[in-house]
Amino acid sequence: MIILLLVLPLLSALLMLLWPRIAPLLALLSAAASSMLALQLLLQVAEQGSRYMLLAGWPSPLAIAWQADTLSCLLILLTTVLQLLVGFYAFATRSRDKLGQGFWPLSSLLQVSLTALWLSRDLFNLYVCLELLGLVAVALVSLSGRSAVKPALNYLLLSLFGSLCYLLGVVLLYGMYGVLDIAGLARSWQTDWLSSSALSLMSLGLMLKAALWPLHAWLPSAHAAAPAPVSALLSALVVKGPLFILSLLWLQLASVAQAQAAALLFAVAGLAALLFGGWSALRTPFSKNLVAYSTVAQLGYVTLALGLMLKFDQPLIFAALWLFVLAHALAKAACFLAVGEMSATLGGKRLTTLKGASQTMPLAMFAFAVAGGSLIGLPPSGGFVAKWALLQGLWLQGELLLWPLALVFATLLSAAYVFRVVALAFDRADPVAPDFAPQVLPQWLALLPALAVWAMALFSETLLQLLRLEAL
Amino acid sequence: MTELSESLLLFLITAASLVAVGVYGFIIGPEPLRRILALNIISAGIFMLMVVLAYRGYDSAQATADPVLQALVLTGLVVALSATAFALTLLARLEPSSENSAPEGPEQ
Amino acid sequence: MSLLLFDTLLCGLLVALALASVLSRQLSHAVILYIAFGLLMALVWARLAAPDLALAEAAIGAGLTGALCFTALARQGQLTLSPRLSWQQRGWPALFVLLTLSGLLLALLQIPARPGPLPALVSQELADSGISHPVTAVLLNFRSWDTLLELLVLLLALLGTLQLAPAPAQQHSWALSRSWSQLLAPLIILLAGYVLWAGASQPGGAFQAGALLAAGAVVLKLNKQLSWLVWRNIWVRFFAVAGLGVFVIVALTAWLLQGVTAEPIWLRWPPEHAKYIILLIEIFATLAIAITLTLLVVAEQPETPLSLARAETAGGRGD
Repeated sequence: MIILLLVLPLLSALLMLLWPRIAPLLALLSAAASSMLALQLLLQVAEQGSRYMLLAGWPSPLAIAWQADTLSCLLILLTTVLQLLVGFYAFATRSRDKLGQGFWPLSSLLQVSLTALWLSRDLFNLYVCLELLGLVAVALVSLSGRSAVKPALNYLLLSLFGSLCYLLGVVLLYGMYGVLDIAGLARSWQTDWLSSSALSLMSLGLMLKAALWPLHAWLPSAHAAAPAPVSALLSALVVKGPLFILSLLWLQLASVAQAQAAALLFAVAGLAALLFGGWSALRTPFSKNLVAYSTVAQLGYVTLALGLMLKFDQPLIFAALWLFVLAHALAKAACFLAVGEMSATLGGKRLTTLKGASQTMPLAMFAFAVAGGSLIGLPPSGGFVAKWALLQGLWLQGELLLWPLALVFATLLSAAYVFRVVALAFDRADPVAPDFAPQVLPQWLALLPALAVWAMALFSETLLQLLRLEAL
Repeated sequence: MTELSESLLLFLITAASLVAVGVYGFIIGPEPLRRILALNIISAGIFMLMVVLAYRGYDSAQATADPVLQALVLTGLVVALSATAFALTLLARLEPSSENSAPEGPEQ
Repeated sequence: MSLLLFDTLLCGLLVALALASVLSRQLSHAVILYIAFGLLMALVWARLAAPDLALAEAAIGAGLTGALCFTALARQGQLTLSPRLSWQQRGWPALFVLLTLSGLLLALLQIPARPGPLPALVSQELADSGISHPVTAVLLNFRSWDTLLELLVLLLALLGTLQLAPAPAQQHSWALSRSWSQLLAPLIILLAGYVLWAGASQPGGAFQAGALLAAGAVVLKLNKQLSWLVWRNIWVRFFAVAGLGVFVIVALTAWLLQGVTAEPIWLRWPPEHAKYIILLIEIFATLAIAITLTLLVVAEQPETPLSLARAETAGGRGD
């Protein structure tokens, strides 16, 4: 089943290259089939426990290791479902957006690279996955033509630099321990200068690729320059890949002393991202840039949760980390699709074109507001569940003042930028007239993930339980 | 920890210096093409490090150089070449549009 | 002792070339210095008992990357000197880099002089891999998943390039170079075939053979030969994709043929057929690599409705 999840999108991408005419059909079919398979896999793994696989049938340190645990399966499911949804959106708007036939094979290849990344537990294989992911992402950004070339090149160069930092760390570790799989490394891990510098090099590269706070500068222009369906995929999924590796490294490899030393750094970077991203989102005049800065801010929650997890080693905080990732992926996909739909119909990149959008395009605006509710963390959305889990974890650790206060402040900031858009949209005095009659189907497609993120609250108990198990 | 032989140490230091030279070039730029060359120098440095590490233990009678690391270098070379080719295409597209490109949003 | 002297000379030259390439104020000098650097690197790797890699580095690091950079230079038109940087613009990065370098050197000094457990494991399992050359065995059997993804990366770079490729610069070929390249072509094909075949037991293999073929094809393409070698041609597309396609299909077949055992293993080749499976994959991979690399270097604008390029004239110029 796991194999089919990789082979299906890969083979269909190859077929799409040979016969571009059937590409949309193939892409949607393979995404739909993969979603079913991913759901089945998740249920199976939740029931029978995680599966550890050695590829090609060779003994342990020689073969590449895969692990399908509940977290990986959850992320695979998220990837396939969002792929399907965005595929439908791109199909529904294909006559308008001129995405070109390049989109379809690239989106299937994105699915392959992400699935390979969620499964892999081998440091070098993860490097190849990272490069694959980076190249797909840049190729997708460059789909929007000339205006995107500069941000795409910038993104590619920084992403390559990040991968090379990561690779250097991997080489140092291989030189020292002579193995590449994470489980084997964890067994012989020592706390010394070499392992610390390798960890910091790899983290530097991954943070650059995941656009975590001081290294986020490339993200807003790249994500804003891409076509709407692509920005949705980039913000929802692509930045999460390096983040996943980062958490693997720190939670499975790093020794207690190293984790403690890094905890505060991550937490502070997370806070800074929350403040800075929120502030920039409040000030930018462009609607897509606002959503992109919000990604920087929301990644701050994830970094903060990672830092606190390293400090307190509390399973609830680990669950909160991945709940943030899930909630943000769904909410941000909805935001980008809604904003993309609105700026395409209302004809403008500036925020001011959204004036009165609640009247002209109520569905898309509703989708944005609902998704924004989760970004703020209004109960009972997915964002709220994540934040609540984090607070609860802190509570259990007896941290009552500092970190919770910071969370409250960050929440206010995100509320401010969401309301900035909503208030403008409800300004009904003199709405911006749409260039053409708004399409209904894409607006519904934007609403779907927004509703899904609120539905996450229904499954919050199950999700918490599943994710908490992974932390042990 | 046994001692590395003199020439191995020399190669290790060279590889590290190449990485450093590449990083320096990447930071100061200023043209994108030079940044791409600098990235290639960094990757060459890292690959050289891998080749040197693979050479450890070669001088002893039976052993060959570490084939795993050498295979990884081959994989890495292809990946680096692909990325370079793509970056250069983007670069070629950048030049003509740089005069008349409309600002897309605030540059961070 | 004389060997150490030789090594010192090599290393000094390498670092000097890299520095000169980074610091030179003219981009064309930087590219030429980089190519010289790549060739010297190949020499160093040959010295370090890595002939496979030396072959690949000479073809890729120096050859194809150099060709790519020259194409990029040619597209840029007139060249200007890079602006002279101020003392601060140079000083702080240099300080930062020196600090990082010393940290890195401290870490490198901790590395043990004995290799890890993997080389021994490779030679122990080599007999079952179907291939007697350890590097090829690692690439196509022990860690074949990496290789599959690597082929995907290569294909992806081609897709990205085709999607963006600008119209080729008009250039005419030169009669002498045309006939010389026609003379060269069969030799290169022969050599590539040998390198591929030798890969089973000696240095060589799909990747080097593909790079060699590509080098030959690039020379011919630049001399306006091989007009069929374009992405529009369905067969070219088929073979560019087939490297990966055959790999996946063979793996899928091997996976399904493992029967109803509890847990079929992905990418496991049955030992008795491994040799032929790997040869099959290698042949198609070589062709795919050669085609992909050629198209990467000599990227041209695809024009048919089948093309991957978006309607650039309609969308790009409008705004």
